[in-house]
Amino acid sequence: MTTTHAKVTSGETRAWRSAYWRWLVEPYFYVGPAVLTIVLVMLVPLTIGISYSFQSISLLKPFATSWVGFENYAALWSDAKFWRALMNTLRWTLGSLVFQFSLGLGLALLLNTTFPMKRLYQALVFLPWAVPTFLSALTWAWLFNPVIGPLPHWMAAVGLLSEPYNILGDPKLAMWGPIAANVWFGVPFFAITLMAALQSIPSELYEAAEIDGASAWQRFTKITLPFLAPMIAITVMLRTIWIANFADLIFVMTGGGPAASTEILSTYVFNTAFRKLDFGYASAIAVALLFMLLAYAVFLLWARRRFVKL
Amino acid sequence: MARLELKNIAKRYGAVEVLSEVDLDIADGEFLVLVGPSGCGKSTLLRMIAGLEPITAGDFLIDGVRMNDVPPRSRDIAMVFQSYALYPHMDVARNMGFSMEIRGEDRSTRADKVAAAAKTLGLSALTERLPRALSGGQRQRVAMGRAIVRDPRAFLFDEPLSNLDAALRVEMRLEIARLHQRLGATMIYVTHDQVEAMTLADRIVVLNGGKVQQVGTPLELYERPANRFVAQFIGSPTMNVFPVVSDGAALVLGDGARLAMPDCDGATALGVRPEHIDVAAAGDGLIDGTADVVERLGSDTNLYVNAGDLGMLTVRRAGNLPVRPGERIGLHLRPENLHLFDKAGLALARRA
Repeated sequence: MTTTHAKVTSGETRAWRSAYWRWLVEPYFYVGPAVLTIVLVMLVPLTIGISYSFQSISLLKPFATSWVGFENYAALWSDAKFWRALMNTLRWTLGSLVFQFSLGLGLALLLNTTFPMKRLYQALVFLPWAVPTFLSALTWAWLFNPVIGPLPHWMAAVGLLSEPYNILGDPKLAMWGPIAANVWFGVPFFAITLMAALQSIPSELYEAAEIDGASAWQRFTKITLPFLAPMIAITVMLRTIWIANFADLIFVMTGGGPAASTEILSTYVFNTAFRKLDFGYASAIAVALLFMLLAYAVFLLWARRRFVKL
Repeated sequence: MARLELKNIAKRYGAVEVLSEVDLDIADGEFLVLVGPSGCGKSTLLRMIAGLEPITAGDFLIDGVRMNDVPPRSRDIAMVFQSYALYPHMDVARNMGFSMEIRGEDRSTRADKVAAAAKTLGLSALTERLPRALSGGQRQRVAMGRAIVRDPRAFLFDEPLSNLDAALRVEMRLEIARLHQRLGATMIYVTHDQVEAMTLADRIVVLNGGKVQQVGTPLELYERPANRFVAQFIGSPTMNVFPVVSDGAALVLGDGARLAMPDCDGATALGVRPEHIDVAAAGDGLIDGTADVVERLGSDTNLYVNAGDLGMLTVRRAGNLPVRPGERIGLHLRPENLHLFDKAGLALARRA
């Protein structure tokens, strides 16, 4: 760049002579690195991934690669396994999210009160995050195993199960295994973020509401919840996307079985791509998931703008 | 409308005593101001009356009913906070009608009462705004509107004007005075600003270090302060106090000047307000000094006089005084306006 304009000696004006250079070219040198990084790291892989979904790429037939238009999507539309995986994804996501959120909120409210050794408990809440996912999946799989784990015996004792057997082997109940592990894993996220939001609520608002005659429940619904709403909207959105894409627990605990009863879209993508080696079809499933999550995010952001006043 | 009684109230946080021996009987419709330096416990006392802080010892009664263990929402008291504590997610109308919303009153009653209160406070055009879109003075009005709408038994104000600029503070002070005249309600007002205290109060309670120093009308506190603290806290500029020696019939000032004063046994300090010192030519006064700084306020002149052994004295005279900085002047103390204090700082009884 130093070669494009004359050397500046002291006392001389430093203004560049060309307005064209100054206003139309120079700014792009500054944003250039950022744009380049975004394009290389995000847009290029995304475009390649989406382009795969319009091709037939199977590693088993390396010389039959070709553009097939919407063929993969047409196959998707009539694929019963896809629809089943989609329903499983909804169950998995909703089941995990509801329990993670409600337990996380409850924990946040409890941690926001004063009690002895509060800091210790706050630190303990973080613990599930410190455990590698693979390890927690294995541990939970063992917990559900009646030979070495206590859970089936406890559930049988309280009448949830007729006899202590492994629910991971029961197509009707298998999904609850990974969901339980995921709840354990995800509660800290909600607890910590919501607790931070709770601490930002000025205490005078509660005092003013108390003087205005509000009961504890009214203070919760009319002060606490509206204040938490922005944080709830953003965390629920992020968490939904993460859970829907989160295949580790299911992959380790059930591998999608038994009888595909825990097969969600992201494990289906993985199995299609790396077990059947059909990258074109796997990409089509991934793109479908991407657009469903995009639509969901847009809806949540709209709802947040519409209903959250803070 | 209610009578509030505080009987031997105390507040302790563990071993730390913040308030003790507070005895007050607040009449129905009275405007009582709690005043004192920061940390004197005045806000704590107000919060105990509101029910936001538990009362450690003593009894608090509203209309003869003991309130110590009654939660704030059942005390039927309204409070205006220093930070206003407006609900940021509710518009002005909902903020003001929140107490009625809580009680489940129907929409039209709520709207009517809010509209009436908004009108008296000049907020009618702003009822649909959120608090963040209001100026400080407007927020202050909304906070007052929220209290008025309730029609409570008593109003509590916790330094409500301290976040406003000077001009607005004067305006809102008048507004609060008018509000009290119109509603005739019992009001308790906490402030550290003695001008607010003097102008608004029927009676002032001066607190210091968690103890009531004196209770009385503004003029009583000004004319007959019970001790040195009250004497120097009330009045602006601050009262001059300097050490004296009493020989029974006269006071001997630090520079040897004698001031005839019967019954002055036990006096160790003499207090005189800046407005009660007359200026004379050098050598003509009881005290001689050099005018160090001259402040001309137009209506008044403040002199800061270096009086040798007596230290700095503040003198305030009406009008524009022809004194130049550095000039030697004499000072006369008006005997009828002097205050005598004993070793413990308590005021000695004045001559008839």
